[in-house]
Amino acid sequence: MNSFMPRAQNRTALILFPAFDWCISPTHPEREERLLYTRDQLIEEGLEDVDNIVFLNPELATHADIDRVHLCAPSSARLLTESHLISAGATLRIARAIMDKEAEKAFAIVRPPGHHAMQTVFGDRGFCIVNIEAIMIEYIRRHYGVRKVAIVDTDCHHGDGTQDIYYNDPDTLFISLHQDGRTLFPGTGFIRESGGPAADGYTINLPLPPNTGEDGFDMVMERVVMPILDEFKPELIINSAGQDNHYTDPITNMNFTAQGYARLNRRLNPDICVLEGGYSIEGALPYTNLGIILAMAGMDYSHVKEPDYDQARFRQPEEMSQYIAGVCDKALEVFANRGRTKKEALKKKVVGERKSIFYDTTGFNVDETRQYHLCPDCPGYTEVTATSPRARIHAFTVPFNACPTCQRTARNLFSAAQPVPQTITALQDRVADIYETK
Amino acid sequence: MIIGIDVGGTHADGVLLEGTKLVAKHKVIVDQDHLSETVIALLRDLIPEDRRQLERIHLSSTLATNAIVTGNLEPIGMLIQAGPGINPDFLAQNGPTWFLDGVIDHRGHIIRDPDTRLIDEAAAAMRQAGIDSVGIVTKFSYRNSIHERFIADRLGSRFSHICMGHQISGLPNFPRRVYSTWLNASLTQQFHRFKEAIEQGLAHLGIDCPCHILKADGGTIPFARAIEFPCESVHSGPSASVMGCLALAGQPSDSILLDIGGTTTDISLLVDGVPLLEPYGINIAGRPTLIRALNTISVGLGGDSAVGFADREFHIGPRRNGPPMAQGGTTPTPTDAMVVLGLLAVGSAEKAVAAMNSLGTGWDPEETAGRLLATFAERVRQAVAAMIDSVFSRPVYTVSALLHRRRIIPERLIVIGGPAAALKQILESCFTLPCTVPTDYEVANAVGAARTQLTAQATLYADTADGRVSIPEISCLEDIPNRFGMAEAETKLEQVIRGIASEMGMTDRPEIDFLERLEMNVIRGFETSGKILNLKAQIRPGLAAVKGVQR
Repeated sequence: MNSFMPRAQNRTALILFPAFDWCISPTHPEREERLLYTRDQLIEEGLEDVDNIVFLNPELATHADIDRVHLCAPSSARLLTESHLISAGATLRIARAIMDKEAEKAFAIVRPPGHHAMQTVFGDRGFCIVNIEAIMIEYIRRHYGVRKVAIVDTDCHHGDGTQDIYYNDPDTLFISLHQDGRTLFPGTGFIRESGGPAADGYTINLPLPPNTGEDGFDMVMERVVMPILDEFKPELIINSAGQDNHYTDPITNMNFTAQGYARLNRRLNPDICVLEGGYSIEGALPYTNLGIILAMAGMDYSHVKEPDYDQARFRQPEEMSQYIAGVCDKALEVFANRGRTKKEALKKKVVGERKSIFYDTTGFNVDETRQYHLCPDCPGYTEVTATSPRARIHAFTVPFNACPTCQRTARNLFSAAQPVPQTITALQDRVADIYETK
Repeated sequence: MIIGIDVGGTHADGVLLEGTKLVAKHKVIVDQDHLSETVIALLRDLIPEDRRQLERIHLSSTLATNAIVTGNLEPIGMLIQAGPGINPDFLAQNGPTWFLDGVIDHRGHIIRDPDTRLIDEAAAAMRQAGIDSVGIVTKFSYRNSIHERFIADRLGSRFSHICMGHQISGLPNFPRRVYSTWLNASLTQQFHRFKEAIEQGLAHLGIDCPCHILKADGGTIPFARAIEFPCESVHSGPSASVMGCLALAGQPSDSILLDIGGTTTDISLLVDGVPLLEPYGINIAGRPTLIRALNTISVGLGGDSAVGFADREFHIGPRRNGPPMAQGGTTPTPTDAMVVLGLLAVGSAEKAVAAMNSLGTGWDPEETAGRLLATFAERVRQAVAAMIDSVFSRPVYTVSALLHRRRIIPERLIVIGGPAAALKQILESCFTLPCTVPTDYEVANAVGAARTQLTAQATLYADTADGRVSIPEISCLEDIPNRFGMAEAETKLEQVIRGIASEMGMTDRPEIDFLERLEMNVIRGFETSGKILNLKAQIRPGLAAVKGVQR
């Protein structure tokens, strides 16, 4: 309509909500200032006037939206501030924009992030309390009946929270590209973490060596991510668009660039992006966010370069490329073998798993056990027990794709469970959209 | 006494006010090619016998708007420095454009100075092409204007007029800054000629009082300043009409203003009695700008809009096929419906009935007319609702702003324009709101022009980590101490706005509103290294206080 402004090829919805009045603590990296320069760059670029790009305000998620995904102790109402409800609510708003065909692409540039938040929540972990992508996905499944979803997490830190929530769900493909867990928080995300007994091969981890640059990311996208997505055929692709692989990020060690992020995004072609980490707030975020937006919108991003960008500086050595090629091969093997362990597991009926979860912000450990109750007709329900120094959760969770038998069994077990002091006994039934505690 | 003049598309209206009292009014046909003569002709009939009583003339003119619409703009050269970001090629569509290679980042830091050879080459090429007027815009010049000023200095006196982006607005939005600067530079010479013609005419009439120009933001600027910023005189018509409504029927509440004309209805909103502004600026000839403007929308619904009836519903506008049938036209119009219902006495009642019958609704003419006008009102109501929604949806950036957003809840309609009185009851029942049709509404625009006062806006960006403050509107870039805080910032910005106002001739102490206040710690390596302060303040659009006779 307006030929004096460029036009986005894909109608793109953006929520830019920098929450200038919220921080974890005044000097924490997740601080008020974090998206200031990004806001300044995007507004100065005139994105609000680009034809076919629309800016939306976030809304507040409800506690029911949170409880559909998480098991919170003491409760979602006690743990979450309004800022968390807004950042989660922003993802729900853009989800609706996509599902109601208001837009073809959507990006929530919001904080606080979410991908370190696991199913059980006792507090803030890795700057996250609730997993805003998972809250969005379960909202979409609940309201729009979508089944198969792929999440590609391009944050530099392993998306351990998202992995945890979807570990046993064969309808959610989770792929995480990150700096090797031996060198960075949260210390997980190895190739062998490949999914629960009902979903083995649907969690794909690509731990990349420190200093990986454009070449390495290009290789992983081309050899692993795209072929796997082609085969999985998701109805929706979500990008957990953390931007801390950037060469200027102060808390990571990678060599990725704005051009690299834009190219990755163009190739991935996600329906929805959700900002995760990224703490080089001046040198990276204004450019990486702009690059991602232009890539999504189908616009020219060739001029989006950091002022000190020099491609030659980021050539990676040959042995690094060979190492990454090895990671790619192993990841492909994981996906090729998907679903094979379920038959063995079915014979055992119940498979147990135990892990210790570290909450870095205030510094405590949670001891968690899961009993996966396997079912030939569905992924089965799970019994979760998690204990922190202050609280305990004992829950039965029924995934959205559970069969009526598993749903009934979980309900009966919950009804029979005796309330225990200091313990939240919960039933989370995503089929019936019920969250009950006693 | 003040004279207000509103030059419209076909007519120009003028009023002479003593305080709020309308002393004289006059109307002439406009000659768009000789606007200054139209203005002088009006003045001749309005000036009071004792010329010393005339304090000021306020003029709302279509000069700039016409020049843009007809493409009658002088050729200028644009020097643009984009730095990293969106491919800037689209900004070169206005005419001769040269891109420079310097970079200033989002925080106003200089990353790279522009290559002087590129500037010199551009200057030589412009001279050769006979270009005499130049616009210079760099990205983030509202944070740091140094490159724009450096480039301007380099061009020196070789060009008779140079316009820099940071002077036009302290707001962000690079493409808008480019288009505003381009427009401003393109209008300069014509506006100069206009000013000279008016001044000659005034001298001829023996008038030596100051002459102010109406702006799109519901305020005025002295002619002398308008010479430097002629773009601000664009689209002043709607602002005259809003200020006219305010003067004739002002309400300290949320209200809807409708100016119903022949082909369009202009909608604007009052929030707590203050006219609502566009967040950035107005769109002119397809170009978004930073020219401060009242938020008005125009919908293609007017008294003379062509009406059809198909699929059991009325289709009204946006076209106009000549006059209403009652007045000899060939297409039924809302005006015909008003005539049928006895709301308006123009033309032939029989022809108006024929107009209703020709729609083939199957109802009798009165019912057709009633339903047609109800539909008309309903369409206007929908447009108003959409506008209120879009105001509510403007982006906010803080938790507190999001949680405390207030939706405009109108309590009253104020309606002017030809069919205003005829539609009063229908609008009242459609909006279920009381509706005011001010007396003298036919000269509302001229009254609005007369009663309007100066407006000004300025922005301040202080970065104590860098030890610098920028107020682009006055090309200020100064060092500040680390302890510079919100209180100092507010005082400084207030002083600047008062300075601008008094330079423009404002004698009263203006009330200053702070529209934005952002204060943020700059954290580097887990320590606070300074603060960023960002403020925006204005003299809000409003009516000048009146001394003397009250009506």
